[in-house]
Amino acid sequence: MTAVAPVIALESITKTYASGRVWVEALRGINLAIAPGELVAITGPSGSGKTTLMEILGCLLQPTAGTYRFKGRPVQAIPPDGLARLRGEDIGFVFQAFNLLPRLTALENVELPLSYRRVPPRERRARAADALARIGLAARSRHLPAELSGGERQRVAIARALVGKPSLILADEPTGNLDSQTGNEILGLLRELHAEGNTVVLVTHDPRIAAEVERTIAIRDGLVERDARGPARDARETARDARGTARDAPGTARDLASRPS
Amino acid sequence: MHFREAFTQALRTLRAERLRSFLTMFGIVWGTASVVFLMSWGLGVQAMLEAGLARAGKNVVMAWPGKIGEEYTPAGDRRELWFTRADVDGVRRRVRLAEAVVGEGRFWGPIGHGQTTLSTDVRGVEPASMDIHGTAIAAGRAISGADLRQRRRVVVIGERLRRRLLGGSGVVGATVRIRGQSFRVVGVLARVGTQLWRDNGEEIDDQAWIPLTTLFTLDPRPGRDPDVIDRILVRVAQRQDYEALKVELRTALANRLRFSPTDEEAIRMASPIDLLRKLPVDQTTGLLLILGGATLLIGGIGVLTMMLDAVQERRQEIGVRLAVGARRRDVIGQFFLETFVITGLGGLIGLAIGVGGALALANLEVPDLIPVPILRGWIVALAIGVMTFVGLAAGLVPAWRASRVDPSVTLRAE
Repeated sequence: MTAVAPVIALESITKTYASGRVWVEALRGINLAIAPGELVAITGPSGSGKTTLMEILGCLLQPTAGTYRFKGRPVQAIPPDGLARLRGEDIGFVFQAFNLLPRLTALENVELPLSYRRVPPRERRARAADALARIGLAARSRHLPAELSGGERQRVAIARALVGKPSLILADEPTGNLDSQTGNEILGLLRELHAEGNTVVLVTHDPRIAAEVERTIAIRDGLVERDARGPARDARETARDARGTARDAPGTARDLASRPS
Repeated sequence: MHFREAFTQALRTLRAERLRSFLTMFGIVWGTASVVFLMSWGLGVQAMLEAGLARAGKNVVMAWPGKIGEEYTPAGDRRELWFTRADVDGVRRRVRLAEAVVGEGRFWGPIGHGQTTLSTDVRGVEPASMDIHGTAIAAGRAISGADLRQRRRVVVIGERLRRRLLGGSGVVGATVRIRGQSFRVVGVLARVGTQLWRDNGEEIDDQAWIPLTTLFTLDPRPGRDPDVIDRILVRVAQRQDYEALKVELRTALANRLRFSPTDEEAIRMASPIDLLRKLPVDQTTGLLLILGGATLLIGGIGVLTMMLDAVQERRQEIGVRLAVGARRRDVIGQFFLETFVITGLGGLIGLAIGVGGALALANLEVPDLIPVPILRGWIVALAIGVMTFVGLAAGLVPAWRASRVDPSVTLRAE
């Protein structure tokens, strides 16, 4: 559909877990490609395999079979240290639970990916400050996560994802731990990043969020059930709409059900 | 940045569970302090024992005559041997390992001054006796060659004997009676102190030294010669030459006195070196090191379990670090450094206590046989070495465990 080389290309990706003596097939053959600059929602009910897919996309987990190419490179061929570097340089994670390091300030949290890339401290600090300014939290840079609200924490987490100028921002239920209004703000922020040209993949089980993005990939039983492209809406418009909508905070721990224990 | 972070994190880990941290740190502190202190103290004990043994004379070997052994006299008439001054000269010429040689005689006798009469250990000495026994003169002079040649009735007395016999004043020049003869006190020996090795007599501090030749006139000598001495004293330069010196000495005397050099009963020998060798100094030091090291090890195990728990509690953090680009070795390095900081912190405190304690006691004035610690650079180096080993060993498992954390915890668990 698009002429540009995809950021992500998955071919017949499967993932099988050993759960005691039982083998669980979390993914049974996923094919998908995401082009640069896309905003994609991956949806699916609990146990559909979407968290597993997210882990594979984020190079936190290697697939059992199939081919995953990240910017054309087959991920399975990359050694662990190379994967760490890929995660640090090309992927920005945004988690449901924010996952800021509690003893580091907002600024230090944002600096973290750069520090593992051996960026000199001065430059690191400047870039982290820029990223915090970008998401509107420059004034909070010296605060510890515990001193920030949930929405602020998630914005710091987004700044941390952004700071390395990644090829892909992966957001896993980014609004899952937030009230609906804050969630909408975060969503609006992600849409803005998309509007600026970032590739954003967000995983959600909330169909209403999914409905608002240009492309939705629905996962069910470890397979792509539906890959639908809707009309892209203006980010600001969506954000305005969303702010008006009262919505319950989605459940938080349902994805755990898909993890074999 | 990384070290600062490791340091603050180490402090946080310590603060998380205060009691446990206290006990763990206590183990490290106590262990390091005891390695330093016990080793220093061990050296002190060794020095104290060596000093106590050396008070009779450093590296002195004493030989006295016996009887020909039974297996060397088929007839059964065990010939009795005696030494004369000529034998002393013979030893002086023949025994190359001997640094100094003297012949001495002795008897038990009354020594009197005014109303006081004491029974004491009277020694007939040569000028070189001062050197052999390592004694100094506190007042007056020592027994001289002229004293011997002229058989003068002069005496040099030990410090304690002086106090008991003469009290405080007018010591040098005073007249005392030994076996009814008048002797002039020409000198007082400096205080020697408690001897751990004695030759069946009083300590030097209680002895009265007179010229050897004067002693011959005072005390009828057994045997045919007028200048029969009771013992030959030699000093060996190097302690490791002791055995060789004994062989040389026995051979030289065997030639002169016509007995078999293998005859153990013909002459007897004794030396404080015998005792020094029997002292389990190295074993004691080793034991002390093991004791201190074991304490340190227990502290290390405390740090190990504490860090393992910290890794368990911080799985989420480790996952986040891995997700944002940390390599396994970054995580290993971080936890290694943290463990090392905790151990190093306790170790430095312990080192300060151990060194401080050893130094504080080192300069204390104590009685002769109380050891004081002796601090040496190698002890501090050893303690740092053991401490470093414990720190590294304690960090190994937690760091490895941390690096095995599955980064997907960031997505799965809460």
